[in-house]
Amino acid sequence: MAAKAGNWQSYKRVLLPPVRDLHRLSVYGDYGALRKALARYSPKEVTEIVKASGLKGRGGAGFPTGLKWSFMPPVDPDVPRFLCCNGDESEPGTYKDRQLMEFNPHQIFEGILISNYAISAKACYLYIRGEFADWITLMEEELDKAYAANFVGENIMGSGFSADIILHKGAGAYICGEETSLMESLEGKRAYPRIKPPFPAQSGIWGYPTTINNADTLACVPPIIAHGAEWFAAIGAPDHPGPLLYGISGHVNRPGVYEYPSGMLITDLLEVAHGMRADKKLKAVVPGGASVPVLRADMIDGVTMDANSLRAAGSMLGTAGLLFLDEDTDMVSFLRRVTRFYHHESCGQCTPCRDGTGWMENLVTRIDEGQGNTRDLDLLLDLCDQMEGRTVCALADAAAWPVRNTIKRFRADFEAKCRKAIWATETKAA
Amino acid sequence: MADFIKNPVVALPDRDPAPHFSEEELIFTAEEKVRIARWVAQYPTPDGAVMWTLWLAQEKFGFLPPEVLRLVAAELGIPYAQVYGVATFYTQYFKEKKGRYVLDVCTCFSCQFTGGYDVLHYLEKKLGVHAGETTPDGCFTIQEVECLGACGSAPMLQVSNGPYVYCLTPAKIDALLDALKAGRMPGFTSVTLPQDEDEMGGNRRTDADASISYSTMPIAEQTR
Ligand SMILES: Cc1cc2nc3c(=O)[nH]c(=O)nc-3n(C[C@H](O)[C@H](O)[C@H](O)COP(=O)(O)O)c2cc1C
Ligand code: SF4
Ligand code: FES
Repeated sequence: MAAKAGNWQSYKRVLLPPVRDLHRLSVYGDYGALRKALARYSPKEVTEIVKASGLKGRGGAGFPTGLKWSFMPPVDPDVPRFLCCNGDESEPGTYKDRQLMEFNPHQIFEGILISNYAISAKACYLYIRGEFADWITLMEEELDKAYAANFVGENIMGSGFSADIILHKGAGAYICGEETSLMESLEGKRAYPRIKPPFPAQSGIWGYPTTINNADTLACVPPIIAHGAEWFAAIGAPDHPGPLLYGISGHVNRPGVYEYPSGMLITDLLEVAHGMRADKKLKAVVPGGASVPVLRADMIDGVTMDANSLRAAGSMLGTAGLLFLDEDTDMVSFLRRVTRFYHHESCGQCTPCRDGTGWMENLVTRIDEGQGNTRDLDLLLDLCDQMEGRTVCALADAAAWPVRNTIKRFRADFEAKCRKAIWATETKAA
Repeated sequence: MADFIKNPVVALPDRDPAPHFSEEELIFTAEEKVRIARWVAQYPTPDGAVMWTLWLAQEKFGFLPPEVLRLVAAELGIPYAQVYGVATFYTQYFKEKKGRYVLDVCTCFSCQFTGGYDVLHYLEKKLGVHAGETTPDGCFTIQEVECLGACGSAPMLQVSNGPYVYCLTPAKIDALLDALKAGRMPGFTSVTLPQDEDEMGGNRRTDADASISYSTMPIAEQTR
């Protein structure tokens, strides 16, 4: 089988390098990539390099980063422009950004500054979820060091370019990860997602042009500048190149965040994580966080961790946070917890989402408790149809996909938990 | 006036409850005002600083009753309604008084299937209260929360919006409760990256098979 990840056994990590002593100033060559970008390239050239590298967003949607930057309108000296770094990471099963903050914070800062330069923005808001209080303190300390060394701030390293990084602490809401919701949150409002268009590049925070990227995406930028676009494009799967942080959790012997080229075989990743624990058999894999469709164990043969391969297999890359579940897992119980999550996290703006997620939870709960009927399954699928694509943001879709696919792929499990009698016979007997 | 307006069917929340804090307590010190001013300066409008200021207020007062929200609104010069709206949107801002320590147990799916509900039920039994409640001595509040972003070290919990405690087992929970009762907060733990583990030694859990629990039903009320 042709593994797109190539010779991954000898891969050298660039995002989470082996760090012996934590939190030292710059793991990545003392902001050498930033220095290089400021000295050698114009902002436009930096954007072109990132475009050529093929870097795609690591926040879940997989949008090409260079292309996103080029959507920013021409510079108008009277209109401020902003970059937002999304460190809200609340997708269940995903915890790569936190590892970056812990082990390599300066690479995030460096990526932010290079991106600031590329889109000619003077400030970046780094939004970190409130639960990461310890990591926010850590980032604050490291940021102070970077300011003191003039890697951030006025006239960075004598280049004439100035940029600030401002930390913003969230307070526990999954929806703040959605880009427009994050902007509302920054503006000090209830974090209700906005209707698009206008897109952030036209009207973002406080109505100013804004670009928003995931922390992991931005941490990929310094190596691209340091080693060149071709180097990056040659790593891993051609349609989604570069290093990828695989957050592995669930019933494996060695869970954790692994850095490998994109396009790893799911079966290889399972091996890397030292296999299933207690030698149980694999039952299901969620390849990219709670929002993506779950795959049955018999569906993962030859599937690699890149957008195309996963789409062909009937799932999505999402955030590359893999959850492995073993043979004893109850998929109804699984779905019940997932629907509960979306019910809890829906912001309540749109009726299909606010009410739909609640009904999903009620129905799955009923089935899980043995009170459901098989026709509830069809009702659930119908509910999915009613929710998808009819709301302000993608949370409703993200809630519908796992329901639809878990039922479709594990229907027998669900039916086994449903009541045996159907309503018609019951009525007759009554 | 129509009858149902005078006597609503659903009890409305008390809009003006008796204040918990006296006028003298309801102030920001000069030092805190400097911090707030620094946050305000970081945003184009003062609204942006509301989340930071609420965090500060919660640290100072423990929770955010209406009079504290009014104080924050007055300090930032923005409407009370906006501050109220923000404070009620986010789960980490406490609108009512909580225990001295709040134990946020993650039961989201990675934790669920590695024993998150076992941890929650164990705590409920041990402390004699249900998720969402506070022990009578006011020491602990247990809460069930969504993914805390540490799924590789599941099951885990967070203490009072602060440090994470990973890879929980009954013994570890007992030790944690004892430490907290003695006033010792757990420190910051860094879990070794899995790829460095062979070389550097790991501090990840090694007793993974000890948890049998992943078919536990996802209901906190189960123990009721
Ligand atoms: C409901 C919802 C939740 C999201 N949560 C996150 C998140 O926690 N972190 C993140 O980086 N992106 C999240 N996103 C994706 C962002 O909207 C956005 O696409 C991303 O931050 C863009 O960065 P990228 O292009 O670098 O991927 C979420 C999207 C939706 C619809
Ligand atoms: S889809 Fe759901 S989360 Fe998104 S805006 Fe609508 S109600 Fe809010
Ligand atoms: S599921 Fe518990 S930390 Fe992610």
